[in-house]
Amino acid sequence: MFGFLFKKLQFWQLLNQRNSGKQNGNWQKSSQTSLSRDLKENLKVLKSILGTSNDIVIREFSFGYDEKINASIIFVDGLTDRMTINESIIKPLMYDTHLFDSRELLTTNNIDIIQKSMLSVGDVKIVTSLDDVIDGCLSGDTVLLINGSDQALVISSRGWESRGIQEPKTEAVVRGPREGFTETLRSNTSLLRRKIRNPDFILENMQLGQRTKTDICIAYLKGVVNPKLVEEVKYRLKKINTDAILESGYIEQFIEDAPFSPFATIANSEKPDVIAGKLLEGRVAILVDGTPMVLTVPMVFIESFQTSEDYYSRPFYTSILRTLRFISFFITILAPGVYVALTTFHQEFIPTPLLITMAAAREGTPFPAVVEAIVMGIVYEILREAGIRLPRPVGSAISIVGALVIGEAAVSAGLIGAPVVIVVALTAISSFVVPAQSDTAALGRVIITISAGALGAFGIIIILLAGLIHLCTLRSFGTPYFSPLAPLSFRDLKDVFIRLPIWAMFTRPRTIGWHDPQRQEFRQIPAPPQDSEKVEQPQGEPENNSNMKSQTGVQGLKRPRKIGNKDT
Amino acid sequence: MKLEGGKISSSHLTFLIVGFILGSSLILSPGMAAKHDAWLAVLVGLGEGLVFTLIYLTLAMRFPGKTLVQYNDIIFGPYLGKVISLGYLWFFFHLGSLVLRNFGDFLTSMIYPETPIAVFIILTTLVCASAVRNGIEVITRCSLILVVFTVFSVLGTIILLAQDMKFTNLLPVLDLPLKEFIKASHSAATFPFGETVVFLMVIAFLDNVKQAKISTLTALIVAGLLLVLSLLRNTAVLGVTEGIHVYPSYQVIRLIKIAKILTRLEIIVAVNLLTMGFLKISVCYYATVLGLAQLLNLRSYLPLVFPVGVLMVSLSILQFDSVIENIFFAFEIYPYYSLPFEVGFPLLSLIIAIIRGIPKQEEEKGNRKQDSVDNI
Repeated sequence: MFGFLFKKLQFWQLLNQRNSGKQNGNWQKSSQTSLSRDLKENLKVLKSILGTSNDIVIREFSFGYDEKINASIIFVDGLTDRMTINESIIKPLMYDTHLFDSRELLTTNNIDIIQKSMLSVGDVKIVTSLDDVIDGCLSGDTVLLINGSDQALVISSRGWESRGIQEPKTEAVVRGPREGFTETLRSNTSLLRRKIRNPDFILENMQLGQRTKTDICIAYLKGVVNPKLVEEVKYRLKKINTDAILESGYIEQFIEDAPFSPFATIANSEKPDVIAGKLLEGRVAILVDGTPMVLTVPMVFIESFQTSEDYYSRPFYTSILRTLRFISFFITILAPGVYVALTTFHQEFIPTPLLITMAAAREGTPFPAVVEAIVMGIVYEILREAGIRLPRPVGSAISIVGALVIGEAAVSAGLIGAPVVIVVALTAISSFVVPAQSDTAALGRVIITISAGALGAFGIIIILLAGLIHLCTLRSFGTPYFSPLAPLSFRDLKDVFIRLPIWAMFTRPRTIGWHDPQRQEFRQIPAPPQDSEKVEQPQGEPENNSNMKSQTGVQGLKRPRKIGNKDT
Repeated sequence: MKLEGGKISSSHLTFLIVGFILGSSLILSPGMAAKHDAWLAVLVGLGEGLVFTLIYLTLAMRFPGKTLVQYNDIIFGPYLGKVISLGYLWFFFHLGSLVLRNFGDFLTSMIYPETPIAVFIILTTLVCASAVRNGIEVITRCSLILVVFTVFSVLGTIILLAQDMKFTNLLPVLDLPLKEFIKASHSAATFPFGETVVFLMVIAFLDNVKQAKISTLTALIVAGLLLVLSLLRNTAVLGVTEGIHVYPSYQVIRLIKIAKILTRLEIIVAVNLLTMGFLKISVCYYATVLGLAQLLNLRSYLPLVFPVGVLMVSLSILQFDSVIENIFFAFEIYPYYSLPFEVGFPLLSLIIAIIRGIPKQEEEKGNRKQDSVDNI
């Protein structure tokens, strides 16, 4: 039945696609015309397309010997850097033309001369179609049109007000870099480029969205990434046919593997070091202009439990933290359900003294445990949502209402039992330990609480089994979502429940980066230097020496046979 | 025609078989007829089961990449082969419904005395059906997580019960007429170990058929030793009273009492039964559905999942009136009822295959087919 519905949906989608293609056809046709030689003609067409907006500036001027050459520049006010336009475009054209041979400038291909020897701007392109002119203009470049030429110059002059690089509020760290991505695509790619100084780090541009023309960037490390994965990402991105991409979430929903699954199969982060780490494991990142959230594929379930800080601090405490995160994930989905199951079905499983305490605390409360748990869960979600949306100064009111009125008063009035308040509070706190899965956890929690209220422990186990089956079924861009646990790969357990020291993590994850499995040289356990080495080493420059060593080490690295990723 | 696209690796098969064998045997201790020698009966039964498994494996290795139903047609011819395949399918189907029933019986008699058995059986079948729809690959992946948990919980309970164990309970060893002991050990061989005949439907999907032997035998030995350990634990703690309880493992774990906090852990046993039972039912269910689809030359087995599930639920609810009937069947009738499917037909097929020299004619074709599957 679902298959049938799905086919219907697909058909409907196709129909829509064709219709939208028809609608856009006319507009696209007109814009693909090439420029004419007449400046006035060109300006007329451009004004008819862009004209009514008041942020479009068309500046006509003439230059050259006796001001014989008519030209005009077009740019969008606010998207461009005024300094560049004044100092590097207009000034050279108007003042410095006298330095050139006037006859040369009057020839038909004067645009070449202007591009090559007059404009003092880094990036200048020659374009011929109207479409490119409009595109360049709207993305913040300045367009120079010259009378008598059917070519135009698109001069890079982008510069707009943007937020500076700040520490991201969602992924705070104690140790590690504090910079975060911003809303500007170019500064985001520069942040990544600074982390990975390697010609193999490839950035491929794309434009999506019929109307918004949003810039999108696919980033990967050539040689580490599986080429099939890059192809797949590009294929899925190209299939998107929509009018607007406002955030990377739009793209995520268009290209994810399991749209009906509660689990996210595409990861996101707004920290350059996190993204760089993932690229180095063989993943592909998708950067979208206008949002600091960068997507990475493929995603595995375990990724939600890893943070960048795990790798920066020493391994022992980190390993404990990992286990702690798994425990808190289980607490956040199971605690209310287990509480309900224990108090309604399996009182005999509670140790007697605890049972007596709990019974005393719940004495006289009017509702069954399952109703209490669900109501308190809803109240908590309301408080959380209100806390996010509230204006900051009013924020403290929420905590007062939450803590005093709902917690204290409801319990002392005998409306709800104290244990359920404790359970919900515990659930709430643990849900923040694994932020990447907190949406899923909230959903699972509700389902498990209800089924525990209906069937007790059996209900919980049935739901957990169903969840496990679902997790084992999921794939993200060809990678099994539950790897490296199922399918099991022993070597990758180094980074799941415990984290081995960095020098012991020789390989990239098997299901993702197996195109170039070896990450580093073996046997790099730090140890005090041998006596013989000590004598040889000159005491003055120990750092230089170690650098040399590591370089030769990398060059002499024996790479194992390359194995293609079977799963994609 | 390809009914199953998934591939499982041989190490994963080990986990699946361990889960399958522990299925209901962790609860319904096999070899109970031998009383306090049950562990010895299971050990002997394991030996017998290994012989059975060797027969299956030799048969499976002769037809790599083919399931039981497919090579029944080759060995016995298209008509008789189909009849025999139907017999096997009935056995798989019935096995699944028996486990379902054990499941329901345990829950209704121990934890939920007032809930109708149908609730548990229907819900469990629904979960199994979703696993079966996703194919053998998913069932195997689930087994990885569940089996690890079960193995740790069996070993953990042994440690927690160490203070209650009296090893004098195991004496005298072999205080039983030989005939009864053999009966008990044979029952242990047929109940968990011989049931691995179901895997003749699964081994075909291994990515490396040559490793099937070692992974299957490892699984059998690991699971057998775990069973022996749990029986030793039961006998050492409960003594002769072990024979009185229907579910001795449950009874044993109930006795754990450490520092007044670690008490009443029997829920662990329930979880083990549920998870391992889920694996066993799913494998039986999958084998039935896949075999039926191959028998009927269908292009996909998915349309069969729902009807077979409904029949399985009905059969498991209707076949026994009480727990006692179920136990009686499991220990008195089942050892003989299962004999033709677990030993008779496989041995017969193997002998006929050897006499007719079928694998030699088929070898080249089989190899080529295997190659083409690998390439895809």
